[in-house]
Amino acid sequence: MILLEFLTLPFMIRALIAGAFLGVLLSSLGVFVALRRMTFFGEGIAHASLAGIAIALLLGFAPLPVAILWAILIAVLLFIVERRTRLSSDTILGIFFTSSMALGVILMNQTNGYQPELISFLFGSILSVSVNDLWIIGVFTAVIMSWLLRFRGHLTFLSLSEEQALVRGIPVGMQTLLLYIALSVATVLGVKILGIVLISALLILPPAISRLYTKSFHSHLLWSILFSEMIIFSGLLLSYFYDLPSGATIVLLGAVVFFLSLLLKARR
Amino acid sequence: MAIDVSDLSIRYEANEILSHISFEINAGEIAAVIGPNGSGKTTLLRAMLGLIPSTGIVKFDGQPLSHMRARIGYLPQRFHFDREFPITVGEYFALTAQKKLSSQSLHQKLEEVGLLPSILQKKLGSLSGGQLQRCLMAHATLHHPSILILDEPSTGIDVVGEQQFYDLIQAERTNHQTTILLVSHDIAVVSAVVDQVVCINKKLICFGPPKLALTEEKLSELYGAKQGHGKGTLFFHHRHHP
Repeated sequence: MILLEFLTLPFMIRALIAGAFLGVLLSSLGVFVALRRMTFFGEGIAHASLAGIAIALLLGFAPLPVAILWAILIAVLLFIVERRTRLSSDTILGIFFTSSMALGVILMNQTNGYQPELISFLFGSILSVSVNDLWIIGVFTAVIMSWLLRFRGHLTFLSLSEEQALVRGIPVGMQTLLLYIALSVATVLGVKILGIVLISALLILPPAISRLYTKSFHSHLLWSILFSEMIIFSGLLLSYFYDLPSGATIVLLGAVVFFLSLLLKARR
Repeated sequence: MAIDVSDLSIRYEANEILSHISFEINAGEIAAVIGPNGSGKTTLLRAMLGLIPSTGIVKFDGQPLSHMRARIGYLPQRFHFDREFPITVGEYFALTAQKKLSSQSLHQKLEEVGLLPSILQKKLGSLSGGQLQRCLMAHATLHHPSILILDEPSTGIDVVGEQQFYDLIQAERTNHQTTILLVSHDIAVVSAVVDQVVCINKKLICFGPPKLALTEEKLSELYGAKQGHGKGTLFFHHRHHP
């Protein structure tokens, strides 16, 4: 019974619900992130969102919606610059990520006193998930997952061969832009629990673990979600019982599962 | 559906890759683009499909490409993809097909290209070059497109498979009035199968029915050095098998 006492704590319930949504969202998008070899994307967008959070704190707005809008703006700019130059996505993202983060640092320098919200965004905190945040996370998860499931064929085709997808008449540009926006939004939503520094791990680790066990696309997608949920729930519970930082616990647990899976595969 | 290419040119920085190419293929015809290595055959097809920027006009049945994409089947020379991509052949067909497929029609299409239905359970990245090429051929002809554009369709295929490919191409034309444009090195096969040849080497060298267009003079101009064959005999001696 003591083991279940966390279920009586509202903040823990909110964190578990948020974790359930984010587990589905980030791991599903992470499958396409890995297939398109854009693992730096989550890292870059999460760090770039710092400027959005700083703007919100400076102006007295709720940080999450402003950070989401800022991340969408970065995603759209990245898409436009990527299409109009011959620079690689990583280079362009690197420029946006560092300059946006630098802007965030300068803006934060203008705010007076200790900023608990800022610390929770940097390193994640299960205490920081409010009911409003849950609504935002839930609605965006529903919208993004509906799009992803509806257009999973298009996304798979353009991940497999953008050229073939283009010939087939798939709106490659639009679907790529939507993928960038969905990834930006999902990354910022995940920042609430894992923090700017660690969020990209939830895009990378579950699909990486799943890929060790699966050879078909649908089983890969399904197992990515299952591994993600398992890691998030176990990580949240461990962080609660042992009083550990939630984001770091989830990521370390994911890394342990990944390396154990690697060992298991090597022994077969 | 007719294909009309008018004054198509491609420049890359200071270099002219293709210069003022014009030709017209009637509905239901099979045409081959021939020319030496590096003559711009693949570039021509890619430009026609809007994959690289070009000047000039390309129309399919009088319409621009944007209106016709869904009616064009395309088999690229090389299909670049991550071989570790976790997707089975069955999922590849199911996820990328334009319309929902019955397993019966898919099995029949696989048989036409010489594959067994059991290949559907295999990982796409685990297929051999020949198996992959057959899968892509099945994919390109799946919904009987009005126009079929094939870039060296028999690459990596054995002689039996090559014949199956050309049988399939002929059947598509006969049964569905498909207009087919293909790139090939194999002039012997081309001369036996096609209605028109488009000979290019950076520019259009000749165009027309093979027996009229492929004169010794034009072939020498096309391939540069003297061929060492009498008129017409090149058709039967110029075979290359990858």
